[in-house]
Amino acid sequence: MTLDRKLVAELKAIVGADHVRTEAGDVEPYARDATPVFRAVPDAVVWPAETEQVAAVLRLATERRVPVVPRGAGSNLCAATVPERGGIVLVLTRMDRVLEISPGELLARVEAGVPTSVLADAAAAQGLLYAPDPGSRTVSTVGGNVATCAGGLRGLKYGVTRNYVLGTTAVLPTGEVIHTGGRLWKDVAGYDLTRLLTGSEGTLGVLTELTVALLPMPATTNTGVAYFGSLADAGRAVDAIIGDGIVPATLEFLDAKCIGAVEEYANLGLRLDAGALLLFGDDGPEDVVDRNLGRIGEQCTDSGALEVTLAENIARSEALLTARRCALPALSRLGTLTLLEDATVPRPRLAAMVDRIDEIADRHEVPMATFGHAGDGNLHPTCVVDQRDEAAIHRAHEAFGDVFAAAIEMDGTITGEHGVGAAKLPYLEARLGADQMALLRRIKAAFDPAGILNPGKLGS
Amino acid sequence: MTGPQQQHMATPPGRGIFDPALLDRCISCGFCLPACPTYAVSKNEASSPRGRITLMRALETGRLDEDDPRLREESSFCLGCRACEPVCPAGVQYGDLLEEWRDHQWRGRRRPPPAQALMMIAERTALLRMMGLVRRHARTAAPAQTSLMLGCFERGLFPGVSRAVRTLLPDIAVPPHQGCCGALHAHNGESEKGRELARTLGETLPGTIVTTAGGCAAHLAGVLGRDRVQELSEHLAKTGATPVGEVKIEGRRARVAIQDSCHLRNGLRVFAEPRALISAVADFVPVQGDDSCCGSAGTYSLLRPRDSKRILAPKLDAYEAAGVDYVVTVNPGCQRQLHGNLRRRGSAVHAVHLADLLAAAAGGRPLPRGRRWRVPQVRVNLRRRLRRRGASGGTAGWSA
Ligand SMILES: Cc1cc2nc3c(=O)[nH]c(=O)nc-3n(C[C@H](O)[C@H](O)[C@H](O)COP(=O)(O)OP(=O)(O)OC[C@H]3O[C@@H](n4cnc5c(N)ncnc54)[C@H](O)[C@@H]3O)c2cc1C
Ligand code: SF4
Ligand code: SF4
Repeated sequence: MTLDRKLVAELKAIVGADHVRTEAGDVEPYARDATPVFRAVPDAVVWPAETEQVAAVLRLATERRVPVVPRGAGSNLCAATVPERGGIVLVLTRMDRVLEISPGELLARVEAGVPTSVLADAAAAQGLLYAPDPGSRTVSTVGGNVATCAGGLRGLKYGVTRNYVLGTTAVLPTGEVIHTGGRLWKDVAGYDLTRLLTGSEGTLGVLTELTVALLPMPATTNTGVAYFGSLADAGRAVDAIIGDGIVPATLEFLDAKCIGAVEEYANLGLRLDAGALLLFGDDGPEDVVDRNLGRIGEQCTDSGALEVTLAENIARSEALLTARRCALPALSRLGTLTLLEDATVPRPRLAAMVDRIDEIADRHEVPMATFGHAGDGNLHPTCVVDQRDEAAIHRAHEAFGDVFAAAIEMDGTITGEHGVGAAKLPYLEARLGADQMALLRRIKAAFDPAGILNPGKLGS
Repeated sequence: MTGPQQQHMATPPGRGIFDPALLDRCISCGFCLPACPTYAVSKNEASSPRGRITLMRALETGRLDEDDPRLREESSFCLGCRACEPVCPAGVQYGDLLEEWRDHQWRGRRRPPPAQALMMIAERTALLRMMGLVRRHARTAAPAQTSLMLGCFERGLFPGVSRAVRTLLPDIAVPPHQGCCGALHAHNGESEKGRELARTLGETLPGTIVTTAGGCAAHLAGVLGRDRVQELSEHLAKTGATPVGEVKIEGRRARVAIQDSCHLRNGLRVFAEPRALISAVADFVPVQGDDSCCGSAGTYSLLRPRDSKRILAPKLDAYEAAGVDYVVTVNPGCQRQLHGNLRRRGSAVHAVHLADLLAAAAGGRPLPRGRRWRVPQVRVNLRRRLRRRGASGGTAGWSA
């Protein structure tokens, strides 16, 4: 599909000629996001600067039945911004202002294209914490975080993005601008559309402005590391920690392969003979943090940890968190194609799930490394192969199919935080069942009668 | 195609423009986006490292051909500053990819004429020497363990820099017959010629090569090996020399900021050393963006003057807002860019090379004075201007 010249001219009239591109070389960089393999070229890329422009573009698109794919930083890992049916990629990165930080109300108002870390820094400058902390925060946009309901490294104690969205300004595919929620913590007037839009992956509306909750900045943060002989031991330690009544901010794990890859990249002096590493951290008043980390350390030791150490200072603590954040790219250095998944199980079944993953990887003869958010039962099994080895890629996908099935069998899900996008749509029905799938489609149709907003993804 | 079917496609073989091992490294994670100055001004992914790599891939697989206007544009809009490298967790060697890209994209008559002209001058050692004769730079033929490399355009434009180095490092050899290091060629579509020139220069200069040009240091180190080459601040740090004296203005220590050299910072990861040296002789003032490209970027300010200024302007604003007296540079291209543009603004801030700052602190040639200030003469015995750190100390001078 190519766009007719009249439509292109109309788009230019809305956002300005400089902010519409249609040439092959101009649209090529928007054919993909951070998801490997998936690629589809859009017909146009459009960069709006304000809500009204977004509304005008969507009205036009509905009228002409042209697909529109909203895009933030394009850092998602489920091909959610790949324009499977062509059309327009609508990039929100020009809308990048922090509109307001209100310490009195503990909230912030931002445009959707603000990078997550810019919001976090602006809040921190006023002594406030924006809690959602995805590994990609320097890149990802707040709009993208809300649209994917991004998780992060503090999810156990603080929850995920959903827990912080108070209100949105959203443009419906038909062009109406709606304001859901607002500056209120309590508001039950109507269906909770704020929550519905959160995690809607750009299929129900385009978010242009968000009101998010902030917290007082905790006085201190500290981090520690425990090494275990196996991931199963680490899993037991996680149960013991939470069983002891502690909900730490961070509880992350790396398996042996990940430890090796991260150490190779970051040279942090990680212990390479361990089978698993548990990274734990907490924030709050200093004495509470010290006490909690001490107790976590004890629980780890009792669960058979080989070694437990606490970060001696903030720099070291940051370095350890960075080590966790860079697990994926560090692994990618082992090959040329990095396939990553996001299966999630109830926390007590973490160790069992890890065993299943190992068994599946062996059976399909693919190398698989696993890291993830231990506290949330959220695993990222990762397979690094040669991108020209068709057979290996095929085997990896078969293996992931089995991983999803195993997760569902254990009362888990096919994706904990990365989303469905185009990548996991084929597996969605196995998780939701036919009735929910049908309901999703009816919801989608109510928002988007012409089916123009991010087609081929959720709700399709 | 959608879903699992599409997932099974393997990558087709390429045209051989790029080393596949380099091109395959990028996982499109986007971590490099916030570091890229051209993305910051354009907000267009085509003008970001990730987008450019996507374009390179399209060129490699033949999806786009080299006459595609966006490919042409991006190959030259890119500053080549390599700010995308240290932030890339996957270890993408963007600088090498850019060289391969320009080798292909700018081959033969496709090369921008001003770049061609500069390269021709740089290849003519005789011409470079003449530039040196007109404006006297430091020269000596004494054999030594360390040799000073004179940046080719630096010797003509800022001959004082090499003289300042001579006062700091009296024992350093400065062989007069030096060619170009080839960085210019490597960054302008002639990477093989660039390597050849570097190898030739390596044969001309004995021992460790010390240079006042961050860009040349990175290129030379890439060809001759990291241990053969040291940028000035790195050399001073490695030999344990501590600067003496102070740069004072109206009785107070001067306030001094830095402009990093991109390739020195992002290629050789040298940035702590010049900051430590500045702090030793003045009040070092960190300025937001002091680590990002000034838009000089080799031939960039000649090839794309408007973009170059667009990238520089907010940086100059930041230096002025910080109220510093001097901005220290560690590369002649940056010195030219900042010096010229600050002057044009009638700014009270002056750009000075690190060597000039250190020499002035030790009582050498005074620095240019600001509109509002008088630069006092600091009188220190030149012979005793430097103190060596550590137990072995005692001998004066910076050299090992
Ligand atoms: C190295 C790495 C680490 C990561 N770590 C984490 C992690 O710890 N936790 C986590 O949850 N995710 C993680 N991610 C995934 C990704 O960063 C998140 O999904 C993020 O929220 C995407 O934000 P974005 O701005 O890049 O959105 P995009 O990728 O541009 O878009 C994602 C989805 O949101 C939609 N969208 C974007 N903006 C809008 C808008 N304004 N209105 C409506 N829809 C919109 C798009 O259509 C798409 O469906 C990681 C990714 C990488 C590469
Ligand atoms: S940070 Fe590195 S791997 Fe990630 S997109 Fe940029 S160049 Fe590619
Ligand atoms: S070299 Fe500099 S301008 Fe070019 S892509 Fe990298 S960061 Fe951007």
